[in-house]
Amino acid sequence: MNWQSALDPHSANARHLADLFWFFTALCAAIWLLVVAALLRAIRHPGLAGEQDPPERQLRKSRIVGALTALTVLILVVFTAASFYTTRSFAWPDMNTLRIKVTGQQWWWQVEYRNHDASQVLTTANEIHIPVGRPVTLELHATDVIHSFWVPDLMGKQDLIPGRTNYLTLQADHAGVYRGQCAEFCGLEHARMAIWVFAQEPSAFEAWRRHALMPNTMPDGGAAAKGAYIFVHRQCASCHAINGSDAAGQTGPDLTHFGARATIAAGTLHNTAANLDRWLADPQAVKPGANMPKVDLSAPDRAALVAFLEGLK
Amino acid sequence: MSSAWARFALLAALLLAGCEREKRVYSGQPATNPAGELYQENAYDVAQGKRLYTWMNCTGCHAHGGGGIGPALMDNRWIYGGKIQQIYRSIRDGRKNGMPAWKNRLTDQQIWQLAAYVRSMGRYVRKDVAPSRDDALNSGKAESRRERSAPLEPGR
Amino acid sequence: MRRVATIFLVSLLLTNAGSAADGEWPVASGSPQALRFSDLTEINTKNVARLKPSFTFNTGLHHGEESATLVVGSTMYFVTPFPNYLYALDLTKPGAPVKWKFDPHADPASQGEACCDTVNRGPAYADGKVVMNTLDGQTIAVDAATGKELWRAHLANIRIGETLTMAPMIAEDKVLVGNSGGEFGVRGWIAALNLKDGSMAWKAFHTGPDKDVLIGSDFHPFYPQDRGKNLGIKTWPADRWKQGGGNVWGWVSYDPQARLVIYGTGNPGPWNPDQRPGENKWTSGVFARDVDSGQARWFYQWSPHDLYDHDGINENILVDRDWKGSPRKLLLHPGRNGYLYVLDRTNGQVLSAKPFVYINSSFGVDLKSGKLIPNPAKHTQTGKTVYDICPTAAGAKDWEPSAYSPRTGFVYIPHANLCMDEEGVQASYIAGTPYVGAIVRQKPGHGGYRGAMTAWDVAGEKIKWDHHENMPVWSGALVTAGDVVFYGTLDGWFRALDARSGKLLWQYRTDSGIVGQPVAYKGPDGHEYIAILSGVGGWIGAVLTNRVDVRDSTGANGMASAVPDLPRRGKTGGRLYVFRLG
Repeated sequence: MNWQSALDPHSANARHLADLFWFFTALCAAIWLLVVAALLRAIRHPGLAGEQDPPERQLRKSRIVGALTALTVLILVVFTAASFYTTRSFAWPDMNTLRIKVTGQQWWWQVEYRNHDASQVLTTANEIHIPVGRPVTLELHATDVIHSFWVPDLMGKQDLIPGRTNYLTLQADHAGVYRGQCAEFCGLEHARMAIWVFAQEPSAFEAWRRHALMPNTMPDGGAAAKGAYIFVHRQCASCHAINGSDAAGQTGPDLTHFGARATIAAGTLHNTAANLDRWLADPQAVKPGANMPKVDLSAPDRAALVAFLEGLK
Repeated sequence: MSSAWARFALLAALLLAGCEREKRVYSGQPATNPAGELYQENAYDVAQGKRLYTWMNCTGCHAHGGGGIGPALMDNRWIYGGKIQQIYRSIRDGRKNGMPAWKNRLTDQQIWQLAAYVRSMGRYVRKDVAPSRDDALNSGKAESRRERSAPLEPGR
Repeated sequence: MRRVATIFLVSLLLTNAGSAADGEWPVASGSPQALRFSDLTEINTKNVARLKPSFTFNTGLHHGEESATLVVGSTMYFVTPFPNYLYALDLTKPGAPVKWKFDPHADPASQGEACCDTVNRGPAYADGKVVMNTLDGQTIAVDAATGKELWRAHLANIRIGETLTMAPMIAEDKVLVGNSGGEFGVRGWIAALNLKDGSMAWKAFHTGPDKDVLIGSDFHPFYPQDRGKNLGIKTWPADRWKQGGGNVWGWVSYDPQARLVIYGTGNPGPWNPDQRPGENKWTSGVFARDVDSGQARWFYQWSPHDLYDHDGINENILVDRDWKGSPRKLLLHPGRNGYLYVLDRTNGQVLSAKPFVYINSSFGVDLKSGKLIPNPAKHTQTGKTVYDICPTAAGAKDWEPSAYSPRTGFVYIPHANLCMDEEGVQASYIAGTPYVGAIVRQKPGHGGYRGAMTAWDVAGEKIKWDHHENMPVWSGALVTAGDVVFYGTLDGWFRALDARSGKLLWQYRTDSGIVGQPVAYKGPDGHEYIAILSGVGGWIGAVLTNRVDVRDSTGANGMASAVPDLPRRGKTGGRLYVFRLG
């Protein structure tokens, strides 16, 4: 996994932003050094108090002040122009490329791969898989409060606002896993609202997509089958969906192929059987305030549920 | 001087009371709460109940309190009783004329939260506990701005 | 030329046998072709003002009386709303006393699974049997003479929100029944039962694989978008077709010559379109099927990827008449989306689609591609309120069936004039609970009236006349060879209009609001009678029958704000009124 940093760009857009940042930083640093140098010189060579400057010196001084003011204006114009031209290209999403609808909710991400062919529409959560080397347009929505989508290695941030659609273009140069997170305070568990972007070679991405589109096959025996029954007939199915089963809740994350995901609860825990058991035993102890309630399940029932969910590869 | 201190103490007490209003207990609440009072006096639980009310499709039958397929919940007619314990039982076990049972679809705590929210629709809870706005299309006055639906059912 | 015209007219009268022989009314829509036209002429524009009640009958119930009153021989049959009593009244005796009453013992839990009041749209008669549906999902045949049960078939499961509210249709030796539950994420179907014993002849679903939909080599839809393998799966996101709706709770027509069953399918579930990208086949469309095998012949989709709960279940009136100079086999359909469709019923081609109300949700229907052209500005979506969408979720016209007179060539369309605000919300499918995902607030439409009876000139493709009503018209229509149109209003007026001019000729105030189906029949005494059930209800009447609190503008799915005045304008009740000339 890559270090989550805007200064470690892995895409052209992120690189433009990093370049912009370094350009700002360098120029501002140079100006700061010049100012400090001038200040030091002034301290070392103070003028005499009460001394009246000769007129030609006064003229020179006002010329210098005028020139520096003009230079300041020029630098500000350059900065404005630089940031304008850098970010302008981001504002025009390509609608003819892979489009992914990302919906921010307290506190997780719903991900839907758009397609003109409805049977190719794919819903998942808290993970985005993208092919490397081509732009991907994200459609950003929110259902409750304002969130912000930020995967610093790949792109700048963009808000998700209830009732409107924002766009963001992602493109990864090379395969890798990039962490992102909500960048707008959105409530108690704002800090536990992470998202992972898996950039894959196009063939690997296509294989993932095809696999993810298939409904899960339901286990036909053992603890996993018992877990499947519990999932459908107990509280789980009120909020979660698993394609291939009769569970079709929509208000919680879609759990189709859950076993293949990296984390639980939007990056809160690594997806292991032990962590899932811990999460199911009391979600409120792990992520207090999350909308996932504590369901009273016996330890064997919970183990069956874990076996079922982890088996959804 | 002492009157300034008194004022400060009063203000502090009021502020602390405000904290109590939406004190959040995420999973420590007793699994069953026969009294149910804790829930209907807590703005956080009522707000969670409001969220569940939409999520669990209650709006499909009861609309935003006005009813339709199912009875209205903002008025003062209670077919199976309007105390929070009675509402809790209607949600948990269902009723014979079509109300489904939620006992295996929601946790006990969630059912209490829903019941507390239902109590707020006819403003049978304190004004400062009832929700004061909708996040979606406005269906009428917010719960906190509604008149208390009188007469109250006997017992409370 | 004149001879051709005469032959055509004669054939028209033969094939259009608008009402059954001897002034009977054996199925809810009067005839298999669903004209709701009576060829009785005793009551006409000159004397209709002399209509007087002949007898009345109180059902003692307080929900929507939507049933048609069948008349066969000297007996009248109708079904009440839940608990779905089937009554037989003896018309030979004064005051028409009850000959027998059949109680199907329907499960009361079904009342909570019916989207739009606990209505029943009537029984059907054939071969000495009266066939009815019950809200709790049963189709029952009863001996017409004795009221004894002959067979019952349990078809729908109320635990998942499935109910039966439609009037069965009998075609040849089959009873055609479809399920309700489009607001509960129920997968829609139509079933054909053998009239003899209630066994299943065939059953076709309206989502899912072709083998479930009964699509095979005989299927030849007119437009390319309806051709392809397994579109009932491919036009949905994974697994969503399982809760996709496409129910058959409206009207089934039958073309005896082509042996085609023609009927519409309901809205896709949920209402929130964001949750079901794709064209959502085979919802909100019309199917023609072979009566013997159930195999689909053609399909046309009124509202692909429906955005507004625009069911396609409204009546399909089958007429053989002149169209632009040549005789055609036509299908007339006043759609929920506001267009009066004229289709060639042999192949499903759209010949005309013109609005009969104010519409801003779409720009029209492209006759070349057959596609509805939606207005992007009125596209509903999750988390966004779209204001002033016309028509509403209840449609320009809801279930209330129109009538067609071969004498005038007009379709008489009872309908609403409402607009709405809508916001989509995420809906979870939880079996047996409403699967809607939309907050709707309905309100009066443009022009200061909320409903109308509209006469549509088929040849001229335009409105001939409009009779405005203060409130939406939720009752069916009847037109007779005496050139009189009958219908009722929500505040209880039963009206008679001149079929040619729309002039009000007579009216009578009944006890409750009218949401029923007027019927004309010839009584045992040889005189013409007009029957109507009064008893407010249905989706809109729920504001009154279910005591909706109108402070909530979204009550009864937005009807509370459309008719907040209904509780003070009318009252609940259930009473049959039968009129004759006095």
